[in-house]
Amino acid sequence: MTLSLWSLGAGDRCEILGYDDALADKYRVRLMEFGFHPGESVACVQSLAFGAPKIYRVSNTIFSLDDEVATHVLVRLIDG
Amino acid sequence: MARNRVILIGSPNSGKSMLFNRLTGLQQKVANFPGITVDVGTGAMRGLPDTDLVDFPGTYSLQAISAEEEVAVDYFERALEDDQVQHVLCVIDATRLEKSLYFTLQVIRDCERHGKCVTVLANMIDIVEKNDLEFDVQGLSDALHTPVLPLSARSGKGVEAVSRRLADSLLEPYCAPRAHLVDTPDELLRGAAHQLAHRYGPKGDVLIKSQARLDNFFLSSVTGGIAFFVIMYLLFQSIFTWAAPAMDAVEFLLGAMADAVVPLVPNQMASDFISDALFGGIGAFLVFVPQIFVLTFIIGLLEDSGYMARAALICHKPLRLFGLTGKSFIPMLSGVACAIPAIYAARAIDSPRKRLLTYMAIPLMPCSARLPVYTLLIAAFIPSGTALGGLVGWQGLAMFGIYFFGMFCGLLVTGLVSRTSKDQYTDLPFVLELPPYRIPGLEPLLRNAWNRAKHFVTKAGKIIFTVTLVVWVLGYFPNYGADLGQSWLGHMGRVVEPLFAPLGLDWRYGVAIFTSFLAREVFVGTLGTIFGIEAADENMAPLVEHIQASGMTIGSGLALLVFFAIALQCVSTLAILSKESASKSLVVKMFFGYFLFAYAAAVAIYQLAHWLT
Repeated sequence: MTLSLWSLGAGDRCEILGYDDALADKYRVRLMEFGFHPGESVACVQSLAFGAPKIYRVSNTIFSLDDEVATHVLVRLIDG
Repeated sequence: MARNRVILIGSPNSGKSMLFNRLTGLQQKVANFPGITVDVGTGAMRGLPDTDLVDFPGTYSLQAISAEEEVAVDYFERALEDDQVQHVLCVIDATRLEKSLYFTLQVIRDCERHGKCVTVLANMIDIVEKNDLEFDVQGLSDALHTPVLPLSARSGKGVEAVSRRLADSLLEPYCAPRAHLVDTPDELLRGAAHQLAHRYGPKGDVLIKSQARLDNFFLSSVTGGIAFFVIMYLLFQSIFTWAAPAMDAVEFLLGAMADAVVPLVPNQMASDFISDALFGGIGAFLVFVPQIFVLTFIIGLLEDSGYMARAALICHKPLRLFGLTGKSFIPMLSGVACAIPAIYAARAIDSPRKRLLTYMAIPLMPCSARLPVYTLLIAAFIPSGTALGGLVGWQGLAMFGIYFFGMFCGLLVTGLVSRTSKDQYTDLPFVLELPPYRIPGLEPLLRNAWNRAKHFVTKAGKIIFTVTLVVWVLGYFPNYGADLGQSWLGHMGRVVEPLFAPLGLDWRYGVAIFTSFLAREVFVGTLGTIFGIEAADENMAPLVEHIQASGMTIGSGLALLVFFAIALQCVSTLAILSKESASKSLVVKMFFGYFLFAYAAAVAIYQLAHWLT
């Protein structure tokens, strides 16, 4: 099932499937540079209170993304 | 003979600027916060005569997505066509290889196209070794067909090998790079970076685990919230309390120098100039230097430790409602003390549009220069009684109200501008790299604070001196300082009296408002001069009585409070804003825009108070 990266909770792992069309090209480019490219596995490390940006791990780097960006990243859950 | 130029390039937060300092002995700004190097720095290389090292702004790739990145990338492309450039040093973070390698492969490809040598510098190797992580340096070097030198910019380990490598390559300029990537598109480079990082980079997640433990503390809703408020309280204290003794010392020193020098000047006009314009005017801005030093030091500490990125994350959501970013919080908080260090602090905001909005909010934060004006007007017009059994004092409530009003105006302006204006400034997504926590080095922090203070004195000093000179001449002539009311400034006050009449103010307040554009607190001293009171800024009580007796109404007092809360009356702020934003038109627009806003709000308050009473 296709979900958005933003819908992940702390501890969830997923594989990136792609981006939806609403994501501006320049944002897509930046995400790809950071390692959020299709096929890459991403873990949601922390989900903070009050809708604050969530924390994700890609490879050996930790990033924080807010919902404006993360809702446009399409993923599927892995490891259940 | 033309000097050789070596290019230093790397992704943000790879330790590039610290390495630049190691290789040149210069003092480039260094911080553990992505995107901190804004300018292109150049310095002569230690041990390599006739060679300059050029430090480029950190960028995540050679595909620019903002105007600033475009400038950096264009500059890099032009440098590759320069015959004086034979060598490019590409810095990568050895602990997070994949992030750096995509950019590195792009750099190698472009250098191959232009026949330039590349050396990859794997920084932070000390952290790799300390945590017993494996990093196959030779394997990566073979795979890239490019020398890879492991080093630690922080400890200096391996830095000498860089100089040796450069010395060798400069003796034999053509280093015959292999053209193995020349025609490779970005998409393939991205995949290659992924594979190379997995094959040769450090395995295991020791660093991530220790980072996660600290993040669990600093970003939890309970402990993270407490830690945030404690750290921000200490930051605030540092600006107000810790800098105060040094500010007092500067003030005392300047006063003592004025007392010693002025009597030695035989000519009265020269003596007045030295006393009022030189020591009075220039001294009023030099007194901020300790505050800038302390604030820069503390902010550097937060950046270098890795906490700054976490603070930005915590504040992001509420500030986003007003078109700002979490990274706007520290500059805005700093603005409560002084707008000048706050404008410097806004450099850490990578999105040009959000940085612009933060610049717009900072002058509306209730800075410490407004405090004497607020104190005077509140003492003159707000009763000193209390309510709720002594728990709430009216004057204290008024002070809180006017502070809150300034912050509210700042957020109102950014909220409105962000929703209504489309400009040329690029916005960037909130994708924030959370750097590992580190123990900051004292020396770079002190050096950076010193450089920032020096920048303030040298860059703002010329503009402030010019404006001080103009205001002094207008206030001194034609009657040689005998009566401010009869000076050109006094006449100007009378000419513009109709402008201030809708606020219920006469020419005396007009003159005081004029002089306060030099610095807000000058308002108190000018009124003191006009009313003939010595040292009114140190003892306000007689001035308060004179203001009350001058026939000024409470409506005018409230209107003045509102005017001072909004108007951008600080030449130092304007000077630094112009330098940092590289936009004179922005400064002109803000100056007149805030003046009109302040004037309209003050007229509205006066008319409302007039109608109610």
